[in-house]
Amino acid sequence: MNSRPKVAFYWCASCGGCEEAVVDLAEKILDVVNLVDIIFWPVAMDFKVSDVEALPHGAITASFINGGVRLSEHEKVVKLLRQKSKLVVAYGACACWGGIPGLANIYRLEEVLERAYVTTSTTVNPERVMPSQSGWVEVDGARIEVPKLLPSLKPLDEVIDVDYYVPGCPPTPEVTWNAIQVLLSGKLPAKGSVIGASSRSLCDECPLNKTKPENVLIKEFKRVVDFVPKPDECLLVQGLPCLGPVTRGGCGALCINANMPCTGCFGPLDDIHDYGGKAISFLGSILDLEDEEQIRREISKLPDLAGLVYKYTLAKSSLKNLLRSERK
Amino acid sequence: MSEEPRVGVFICHCGLNIAARVDVKAVSEYAKTLPNVVVSHDYVFMCSTVGQELIKEEIKKHNLNRIVVAACSPSMHEPTFRAAIESAGLNKYLLEMANIREHCSWAHSDKEAATEKAKDLVRMAVAKARLLEPLEEIEFQASPTALVLGGGVAGMRAAIDLAEYGFNVYLVEKSPTLGGRAALTGWLESDKRGADVVNNLINKIAENKNIQVFTNAELIEFSGFPGNFTAKIRVNPRYVNERCVLCGECEAECPIEVANEYQYGLSRRKAIFFPFKAAYPPMYVIDQRVCIRCGECVKACRYDAINLNKQPAILELKVGALIIATGYDPYQPPKGEYAYGLHSNIITLFQLERLLDKDGPTQGKLIIGGSIPRRIAFILCVGSRNTTPNSRNYCSRMCCTSTLTNAIKIKERYPSTDVYVLYQDINTYGNDESLYEQAGEKLVKFVKFEDPPVVDIGPEGLVIEVREVTIQEDISIPVDAIVLSVGMVPRRDVTDLISITRVSCGSEGFLREAHLKLNPVEAPTSGIFLAGAVTGPKNIIESIRAGSASASKVAALLSKGKVKAEPFTAIVNEERCSGCRICIGICPYKAITLREVDGRKVAYVEKALCMGCGTCSATCPSGAMQQYSFKDRQIIEQTIAAIRR
Amino acid sequence: MSDNNYEPRIVVFACNWCTYAAVDLAGTSRMQYPPNVRVIRVMCSGRIDPQFVLTAFKQGADGVIVAGCHPPSDCHYISGNIKALRRYTLFRRLLDELGIEKERFRLEWISASEANKWVKVVNEMVEDLKRLGPIKIEVGVV
Repeated sequence: MNSRPKVAFYWCASCGGCEEAVVDLAEKILDVVNLVDIIFWPVAMDFKVSDVEALPHGAITASFINGGVRLSEHEKVVKLLRQKSKLVVAYGACACWGGIPGLANIYRLEEVLERAYVTTSTTVNPERVMPSQSGWVEVDGARIEVPKLLPSLKPLDEVIDVDYYVPGCPPTPEVTWNAIQVLLSGKLPAKGSVIGASSRSLCDECPLNKTKPENVLIKEFKRVVDFVPKPDECLLVQGLPCLGPVTRGGCGALCINANMPCTGCFGPLDDIHDYGGKAISFLGSILDLEDEEQIRREISKLPDLAGLVYKYTLAKSSLKNLLRSERK
Repeated sequence: MSEEPRVGVFICHCGLNIAARVDVKAVSEYAKTLPNVVVSHDYVFMCSTVGQELIKEEIKKHNLNRIVVAACSPSMHEPTFRAAIESAGLNKYLLEMANIREHCSWAHSDKEAATEKAKDLVRMAVAKARLLEPLEEIEFQASPTALVLGGGVAGMRAAIDLAEYGFNVYLVEKSPTLGGRAALTGWLESDKRGADVVNNLINKIAENKNIQVFTNAELIEFSGFPGNFTAKIRVNPRYVNERCVLCGECEAECPIEVANEYQYGLSRRKAIFFPFKAAYPPMYVIDQRVCIRCGECVKACRYDAINLNKQPAILELKVGALIIATGYDPYQPPKGEYAYGLHSNIITLFQLERLLDKDGPTQGKLIIGGSIPRRIAFILCVGSRNTTPNSRNYCSRMCCTSTLTNAIKIKERYPSTDVYVLYQDINTYGNDESLYEQAGEKLVKFVKFEDPPVVDIGPEGLVIEVREVTIQEDISIPVDAIVLSVGMVPRRDVTDLISITRVSCGSEGFLREAHLKLNPVEAPTSGIFLAGAVTGPKNIIESIRAGSASASKVAALLSKGKVKAEPFTAIVNEERCSGCRICIGICPYKAITLREVDGRKVAYVEKALCMGCGTCSATCPSGAMQQYSFKDRQIIEQTIAAIRR
Repeated sequence: MSDNNYEPRIVVFACNWCTYAAVDLAGTSRMQYPPNVRVIRVMCSGRIDPQFVLTAFKQGADGVIVAGCHPPSDCHYISGNIKALRRYTLFRRLLDELGIEKERFRLEWISASEANKWVKVVNEMVEDLKRLGPIKIEVGVV
């Protein structure tokens, strides 16, 4: 038996991007592989849950879990990993705050299923065949366990205790490498910290920040489909609702460098209580109009405000518990 | 905060004001159950000496470091309790009040509900109190100088009073002379004219070394904070200097003639002119808007008093306070309103006063359209009280008095002239009521209307058609002249002033005082005061009174040599600030700039300019900008406590 | 859904110079109104961060009012209320999208002399919220 620290990777409701992010470490992945012993990695390796169950408690040094918790299966495995791990790291936007799949929390489960399995325009499902919610299906006389959908998508820390958070959709290779180094450094930061990324917002590292005029005020909201932004002027100043000011930095301003506004995948900074609320606060404040009707008209140009300000963080919104309630 | 909060809670009965509805003992008991509350007391009158002593003793006895007083509104006694805890050795900002009187016992009759609410309010106050930090008032040196903007009666009175208090005064007037509109106003009482009052004030100013007068000058920039304002004024050239002896030879040679605004357009003047008899400073002036620079005046002048090459001067004045006394404009009826502008015998009240003035264009003779009118009618409320589509809502206050004073004057001088006064109401208030009686005795004919009269210009002359509501009949009044008793409106250039000084105006365009009863003559902006008709229609007496009032307010502000400001300013967490610049354009006072710290550009708040609104804190996307005493955490804990029992 | 013992709980964020003074005036004038409101004082409506409003809802407030001086020119700090107007017009759109009944949030402009407007607003909101019922929420963890 070698004495390298054991690590595990697991994906919940995930697009797979976070798994690829690990792979994107490229050559560094060899360093990682040499330093640690990967004992569970469903996407890449053939270990089973039962292997994890067989481990003593705390045997895993760190589990990196990505994706939001949406299935009973996810819930079961993350709880298991928590038992068996010293540290649990919420890896990526979904594990940290629910991510994009968290937007489904606006709707009740029945509404989500109805949409996905019946009403989408390319679906033909006249018999309304839906995923089983009983926990099993019968196939040729045998009962096969099928995970249940949970009523909503939960960020990881609402199911298990989380030690550290690595932000991003997905975390960049640099952020991932920074995080790994922090964890292996022996000097662990305070529990609950976001690691690998900056403690300041994206504007701090954005190359277009210095192009801002003294007064950052806009007269209208534009969408990326409306025009091609100038690559050398702050996108917010050009009218795009760039969320860089309210989003944690550390990504190297990748999107801005591709001439696209920040959509907030590195999530909130420390001490921010509600990411979407803060985004609304600054976006509203800089809209340089005084007449209520004009303001309303300008705002109506934004087609999906919740999707804009809570794209990755809806499942952590202050209103999340309202969203699943009975609504008209 | 390194220390553990030790909170003392003090519940006031306020006699029965609170105790009759709120079970103060129960609230006090409840307070004891809250985390970090060390001691809780209730007392009949917390603001009394005994009540304050109780607080001070408890602070010492229990080593309290945060105080909650549940009592009346903080607007009443917050200073009282702050002073009390300060004298017990605590920083005075470690106090939070719970408003259980105005917001609770006085408004809710259900005792149980009121008590529950009082408990909630106490819990909220304790939640905030736990997170309060010691703060220090900000103190600034105050400049013992005032800027008075406007050389009319209000401004002049203010300047004289301030000089008497011992302050230095800059009196800045936009037109070429002091005196304002009162100089052109006619009779106030039987033997006193507006011009007489003005002359009296001008003489006092001319001989006062503490008052520096700038005429032909305007305010172009204004910044800073109370005690330390910087005012930039532009002194436009008169082109004439103090060698002028007022001989008038230049005027005779000048080829340019324009309407004379100092006679309300009833006569003409030259491009080089002397505004009126006792104008100050006593020298001619060239109206650079119409002067063609022909040089005839220079040739004519034997005293070398004219220099056409004078340039405007920009002066930067350091002042402690500003008094705005820029006055009003007369309402100008649009062409066609009561046929104004369609017939030369239809004039305004202001023009009439020039005609009756011995220093006016007709030397005081009532000549309108070439002759003395046999029948003259006044129409009241022109431009006021919603009489016509272009009218304002308000009553202009002084026009009834002025109208009747002039009507009586006309009857005295021209007993055979019929004088009509067409009115909705006669608002000669106070002692001026006697004018109404006098006018009646002199046989001025009063015609009451509800619907505005119609003025016809017929082949025979002017005819007024009006429905007289006392006798309920439509009548026609043929007249030789009509005087429109126009009201007062804000000056057209008041919008420039508003953007330069950031004072605010009300819906009618007049500047707004902070509070008519609690803060008269104060602008909401600290250090700026408003005197005279700039805040709304007033007569000369009222304007002068306001001038004196604002002078005493300035004296109160600057007399101690120092000015204090509350420390609820914004503060940047420089480590967290990303330099996103979003706060800079949000601040209405331009208090935020970018500053380099450790190789990064971050926000910096100039405490002296910050007025403590907190808008930047709410806007800051990083949460790096916070407002002392209203930090996110403090308000959020208070919010949670509002709901969570 | 209609629980007769249900008393709506309303959190009000009020600016010091206008609305807070109006609430004081209502009390001084002994105007009686329902006790369902809890007023939190800030210096200017421009200080009111939507995070505060969201916190109130998260804790279980049935309704929230944000109140300040009348735009455009009544703000003691010149334009704080304009920022509040912009932010809360945007915020209201969010509440609509998330399906929260519009009666649960009010942006009001109440000047220091408008005590009767304050009373009217409170009465209306209590009535609306009684009709809507309590906000349905699993009380969240801070």
